[in-house]
Amino acid sequence: MSEFATIFIGMVLINNFILMRFLGLCPFFGVSKKLGSAISMGVAVTFVMTIASIVTWIIHHYILLPSDIAYMQIVIYILVIATLVQIIELFIKKTNANLYFAFGIYLPLITTNCAVLGITLVNASEGYSFSQSVVASLGAGLGFTLVLAIMSGIREKLELANTPKSMRGLPIAFIVATLLGLAFQGFGGMI
Amino acid sequence: MAKFGKEFAKGIIISNPVFVLALGLCPALAISNSIDNALGMTLAVLIVLLGANVIISLIRRFVPDITRIPIFIVIIATLVTVVNLIFHARFPDLYESLGIYLPLVVVNCIILGRAEAFASKNPIINSIADALGITTGFMTALLMISFLRQMLGTGSMEVFGIHFFDLPVLKDHPIVMFILPPGAFLIIGLLMALFRRTGVLK
Amino acid sequence: MQAKDFWKKAYPVIILTAVVAISVTALTYTDRFTRGEIEAQMEAETEAMLSEMFPEMSRYEFANDIYTIYSDGERLGYAFIATGKGYGGNIDILVGLENKDTIKDITIISNEETPGLGTRITEPSFTNQFKGLNIGKVALREEGGEVDAITGSTISSAAVIDAVRKAAQEKVSLIEEGQDG
Repeated sequence: MSEFATIFIGMVLINNFILMRFLGLCPFFGVSKKLGSAISMGVAVTFVMTIASIVTWIIHHYILLPSDIAYMQIVIYILVIATLVQIIELFIKKTNANLYFAFGIYLPLITTNCAVLGITLVNASEGYSFSQSVVASLGAGLGFTLVLAIMSGIREKLELANTPKSMRGLPIAFIVATLLGLAFQGFGGMI
Repeated sequence: MAKFGKEFAKGIIISNPVFVLALGLCPALAISNSIDNALGMTLAVLIVLLGANVIISLIRRFVPDITRIPIFIVIIATLVTVVNLIFHARFPDLYESLGIYLPLVVVNCIILGRAEAFASKNPIINSIADALGITTGFMTALLMISFLRQMLGTGSMEVFGIHFFDLPVLKDHPIVMFILPPGAFLIIGLLMALFRRTGVLK
Repeated sequence: MQAKDFWKKAYPVIILTAVVAISVTALTYTDRFTRGEIEAQMEAETEAMLSEMFPEMSRYEFANDIYTIYSDGERLGYAFIATGKGYGGNIDILVGLENKDTIKDITIISNEETPGLGTRITEPSFTNQFKGLNIGKVALREEGGEVDAITGSTISSAAVIDAVRKAAQEKVSLIEEGQDG
């Protein structure tokens, strides 16, 4: 039990996917201007990450390793993720058209989100068991969502502030990320 | 020939992947903690981007629209796996320090973006120029960031084991923050603002 | 008309299959080409690490996660990998035993500690303390042992100390079981 807690907290705070591992930066800088869309993005990514972790774990342990074709990992993982996103997209389109339009092009972009492929690779390289992988991906997704939400709240306020012209947009966002990152460094040694 | 030069130059400043397009940030920031890593990653990106651009440009007339993206993904993933295996065999130290960021090149927006936006619509020579230009822009940005991070964070200028010089104060009291993740965000943010302010970009 | 429609629908599938087939072939070939080198490399790395710790080593055996080191016919000692929970992540340590009570040496294989602070666990000034140390004495001085932590990196130091002691105790009892049974 404590091991799950360690993995989970590690993923959410200590080795946060965005601030420590630099994974999932594209949506971090692109989407995060409104709190609502930031959270929906985060939830969607967490969902995809968890399902992708499960499917890729099964493929890795029951197909790739036994058949000694571990070198096919990258190709198969990314194809699985692309397919999953397609399926989820179709599903959302059929069941909740509003949600589908709200996501716009950001849904298919989850395929190229470093965080999704990233968690599947981390699970494989750390040698996590099935349940450990699920806990890890939930943690990673939560950490991602957390930082996205904090960032969007800050950016909402920044829009109203008098930022120097050359800093507007991306540069100031990076500075904010620096400060957030420094704050999160404080979580080190927590476990 | 002029067209080649134009496409090449585009990738360095106007369409600089890191500072302007903000693509491929994930690997750029993650491995910019040392110049060795930056150069290694550039080599990997060069091989994959050049290979992908060439192949996709060659087969562009034969690829039906619906299968476009899956085919691009398969081609890029294959190239990345080949680079991954070769680095593991021939450059083990580099392979270890690049870690998961080497396979992550497959979702690097730069590569799929160029394939989609350029190589699938342009002849080979232009696609090659594009790949070389973008990679040069990528390398320039990465070298700037990693040079600053390595200098401030370790105080010593060492590339692939060849020691160049040490900075007097920083060598004994390096500003560790710059080697840590937040340092990467800080450097790239300041560089971007600097480029905008001095009119080099946008 | 039938044939043309069929061709129109089948074409994308054929192209996709062709691309996948070429990709798989290219990868299988590359794997075959590099596999030998990669495996040889990993073995060379392990051997280098072990012989650095046991300079007289001529060969080693590996069973149940424990390396037994030999110099010709004579057994020099044992080695195994211990993993500790450090400040920033896992710390992998190669622990060498002279015999069932004494540590030969330790080597930090990998860590994710803070550069300049926690990473100083890799320095000889810290690791040399373990040379020739009785397993029972592998603890912080404040806790009755004989190892001093690195100033400013208590967590990293403690992680290494605890991991080494626990793994050593565990492996020694495994070795003894093996020898009784």
